[in-house]
Amino acid sequence: MNIIKTQNGENLTVKVEGRLDTVTAPQLDSELKASIEGIKTLTLDFSALEYISSAGLRVLLSMQKLMNKQGEMIVKGSSAAILEIFEVTGFIDLLNIE
Amino acid sequence: MSNEGHVKKVSKRGLSVILIAGMAAVVIILSTMTAYIGFAEFTAVLEQQYNDSAYEVAETAKTYLNPEKFSQYLDTLEKDEEFELIQQRLDDLTNATDCNFIYVGVVDSNYTSTTYIYDSVNSSLGFDRYPLGYTSKDVDPNYAEDLKHIVETGGRAEKYLYSYGESGAHTSAGLAVKNAEGKVVGIIGVEKTMRVLENARAKYVNHVVTIAAIILVIAVVLYSLYLHRTVISPIKDITNEAERFAEDHQTGSELKAVSSKFEIGVLARSVKKMESDIMQYIDNITKITAEKERISAELNVATQIQADMLPSIFPAFPDRNEFDIYATMNPAKEVGGDFYDFFLIDDDHLAMVMADVSGKGVPAALFMVIAKTIIKNHAQLGELSPAKVLMQANEQLCEGNEAELFVTVWLGILEISTGKGKAANAGHEHPALRRKDGKFELIQYRHSPAVATMDGIRFKEHDFELYPGDTLFVYTDGVAEATDAHNELYGGDRMIDALNKDPNASPKELLATVKKSVDEFVGEAPQFDDITMLGLKYFGAEGNK
Repeated sequence: MNIIKTQNGENLTVKVEGRLDTVTAPQLDSELKASIEGIKTLTLDFSALEYISSAGLRVLLSMQKLMNKQGEMIVKGSSAAILEIFEVTGFIDLLNIE
Repeated sequence: MSNEGHVKKVSKRGLSVILIAGMAAVVIILSTMTAYIGFAEFTAVLEQQYNDSAYEVAETAKTYLNPEKFSQYLDTLEKDEEFELIQQRLDDLTNATDCNFIYVGVVDSNYTSTTYIYDSVNSSLGFDRYPLGYTSKDVDPNYAEDLKHIVETGGRAEKYLYSYGESGAHTSAGLAVKNAEGKVVGIIGVEKTMRVLENARAKYVNHVVTIAAIILVIAVVLYSLYLHRTVISPIKDITNEAERFAEDHQTGSELKAVSSKFEIGVLARSVKKMESDIMQYIDNITKITAEKERISAELNVATQIQADMLPSIFPAFPDRNEFDIYATMNPAKEVGGDFYDFFLIDDDHLAMVMADVSGKGVPAALFMVIAKTIIKNHAQLGELSPAKVLMQANEQLCEGNEAELFVTVWLGILEISTGKGKAANAGHEHPALRRKDGKFELIQYRHSPAVATMDGIRFKEHDFELYPGDTLFVYTDGVAEATDAHNELYGGDRMIDALNKDPNASPKELLATVKKSVDEFVGEAPQFDDITMLGLKYFGAEGNK
């Protein structure tokens, strides 16, 4: 998994490439938690994400809760497969998906 | 200590013997070389000195002679008064200068014989002189060259200076004797003993050998004492210490060599450091192992407790013949986050739960215990709406959920008498359904979010209906996401294929078939996620005939 961060003032875009599973999810979790201070808009770019497991969903949920307190979180670029996972797991109702 | 680990005792003399023998060899070689060089130098200087003095004697003797009369003496063989006088002076000179011989003669044209004119012999030798006119034929071939040289150039002999024959060490001098016209008319030869040289040389050799031997002994003794104190004894100490430590793994006494400035000190300090480090490692490993065993024992109990929480006695409802239900859970670790549940809410309502807590291991297992208890409690209070059960469970689980775990749940409540039911899917896998005489298919629809994700979620529920002969199969993602050694997922399609191998099988057989198929697919790869399955076969109100 690769994480590419682009910050523009209070906007932070994080591109996640590869697999977001039990092994890689804690890495994304700590990366995100370390970088969201003062961020109003967190955009997660999932255009290069191949797979997300329940551990990855948990990171999204946790970030969504944090960002609810200080701004908003947007998930964009998800592939059909990822969108299906969001749909099946009901995350489509929890996340702000573009 | 095992036999393999035992260090074989070997002789530790080796090092000192090699070092001291090497030192002795060096001393012996050095003193032999010194002695030889001294001997050669000594000999060369003294030989030169003796030879010079032989020539001085020859020069002196030459002044006594009257070369003009040589041919007269040899022709007549008559000795006159002057002859006798010269003979006497030569004899005196021979004895006074400690020469063996002084002789004067004429050499023939082939340089093979000498005809003597004067011949003085040292009185101590006890030989008779050669008389006037005596011709000695047996000139040593070594002399011949020299004689030729002397006669032809009128100068000195070039070689044959020294001899160490049976007659004792001596040196020879040879000069030409010229008449008033400068013509060579004879030769004068002097042979001077070098007895003093021979004796002095022998003494010198004796001295050198004795002194070298004494130095050798002293040096070897001092050197070995020094070597023993600074190298051998410390190395023996270190070796013994290392050997001892290898045997009993106990900290020993301090090594003396630790304070040494040399590499030995470094070695000793390293050995000591290594010992204390190893002791510490052993200590740590012992503690860790004990801790691990304790945790492992506790986990075993936890595994048992978790297994006991799930209904595991089959047939679960021996007196109900309207349906057959079977379920299994195989945790990936000692305890898992998956669970299934089924229970009768009342005589006519069967609740079925299939759930998966995010994450694995002990945290997931603890969360699973709470989730399972809360869901069952709410359902058993008589709540027949799965959506409401989940909503209440969600509210309770969201309270103080700092770990931010959540749980995907499929909850179905079946009215046994009619086969009609309601189900809610909170982010869980699609159930698989087989209508009588049909094939298993996934029932796909949009799900609600998982339980404990957010406060105040409204869960969706939907109606379903089972007809006699239908089979329902619910499972967790451990089935579809089982992974083989090449990181390939088992996937929903393989699962459906496995279910359809024998669609008429009982739930127990169905689950076994799927598990076997998953195991064959995964092969040697370690199980990564909990694998949990539940199967229900509905026979209708009439029951299984």
